[in-house]
Amino acid sequence: MFKRLSLALGVLVFAGAAHADSYALGLKGVACPYCAYGVEKRLSKIDGVTDIRIDIADSLAIVQMRDGTPLTKQQAATAVEDAGFTLDSFEARAERGGQTGAD
Amino acid sequence: MGAKPVLIRPGRLPTIAALPATLPLVLAIALWLPINTLDAAPNTFNTALPVAKGEFIWREQLVFRERSDDGPMQRDVSIRALGSVLGYGVSGRLSTFVVLPYFFSKSLDVTTGNGRLSRRAEGVGDLSAFAKYTAYQRDFRGGTMRLSAFAGLTAPTGRHDQRDAFGELPRPLQAGDGAWDGFGGVVATLQTLDFQVDAQAAYRDNGRHDGFERGDTARLDASLQYRVWPASLDGLRGTPGFGYLLLESKLVHRDTHTVASASDPNSGGVQWLLAPGAQYIGRRWIVEGTVQVPVVTNAPDAAIRDDAIVRIGFRRNF
Repeated sequence: MFKRLSLALGVLVFAGAAHADSYALGLKGVACPYCAYGVEKRLSKIDGVTDIRIDIADSLAIVQMRDGTPLTKQQAATAVEDAGFTLDSFEARAERGGQTGAD
Repeated sequence: MGAKPVLIRPGRLPTIAALPATLPLVLAIALWLPINTLDAAPNTFNTALPVAKGEFIWREQLVFRERSDDGPMQRDVSIRALGSVLGYGVSGRLSTFVVLPYFFSKSLDVTTGNGRLSRRAEGVGDLSAFAKYTAYQRDFRGGTMRLSAFAGLTAPTGRHDQRDAFGELPRPLQAGDGAWDGFGGVVATLQTLDFQVDAQAAYRDNGRHDGFERGDTARLDASLQYRVWPASLDGLRGTPGFGYLLLESKLVHRDTHTVASASDPNSGGVQWLLAPGAQYIGRRWIVEGTVQVPVVTNAPDAAIRDDAIVRIGFRRNF
């Protein structure tokens, strides 16, 4: 019984991580609202992005994706670079499984 | 009426611009003096910060400029102009800009043998286009350091043959001077969440047209912008607008004009100006203003120099 429960929980956690719909991007170089908007504009052009919030004080961009649409680190890095800045970290936030895939 | 040739230096609008901030005056002076009055100007000049790839910025700046000389002609020049700038991000490192001034009026009051005389020009000025490339970039959390080079041309799009009842207006009073000019320079920016410092060195090589050549100019600019609102970013979520105080410095050397083949002794000189101001930076808008006043002037008495320049404008991020 315990094994079955563990397996089921593991599947749920894996599924949650695989379908992360929120990503936290660490940014380097962004230090004013005007610059943050440039990053926001480039990120918003990525297919599947539904919402972006930039916490400028923490140098962090929180990107929400349409359910089931992944965001790759390469996509995020290209968007931030096109805005003239640097991607410092990339973290997938699993809403259901509670796990993160930090990079 | 035997009017003498009246030579004035028409105002050159800033070719582009960049950012702001403020710090105590003491810090500002301490920062500037050791670096020979570098000046990077958010409001009066350039910045090394980027325009995002594929994005546009639009800037409008109203300029009220008062100029005069100390010579016997007692020339007074008033300029009311609108400077329009459109920038485009070719890549994260390369941006292009076009700058077009419009002169609501360029007026000259001058004392002649027949008394005080007023002359006036207006219209579209000379269009400038330039590119800026970020040659060095070091980003860190909450800040960046950039070094950019820029170069461009000014085309003779403004009229240089306007006339009034006294004949053709002097060339410096015209909306355009009829010549192609080249300019370039380097600009460095250090930006953090609390302050920004810009420094710029630029040179303008003015061309010759129809016997007239405006003197070349070399300038060093510096700007210090200090965030005063919000006072603290602790616990802040999202991206609110920032309010800055700023102080800008401009050291400019102007060569003398050339008329026919002779140098005009009533032109040229060196001037150092300071410009305190304020700026609000939102995500899509920047609203800004400065008052630029001369601190030191070393020029011939009869050479026209700046008395005050007021700039009020906005920038829009598309």
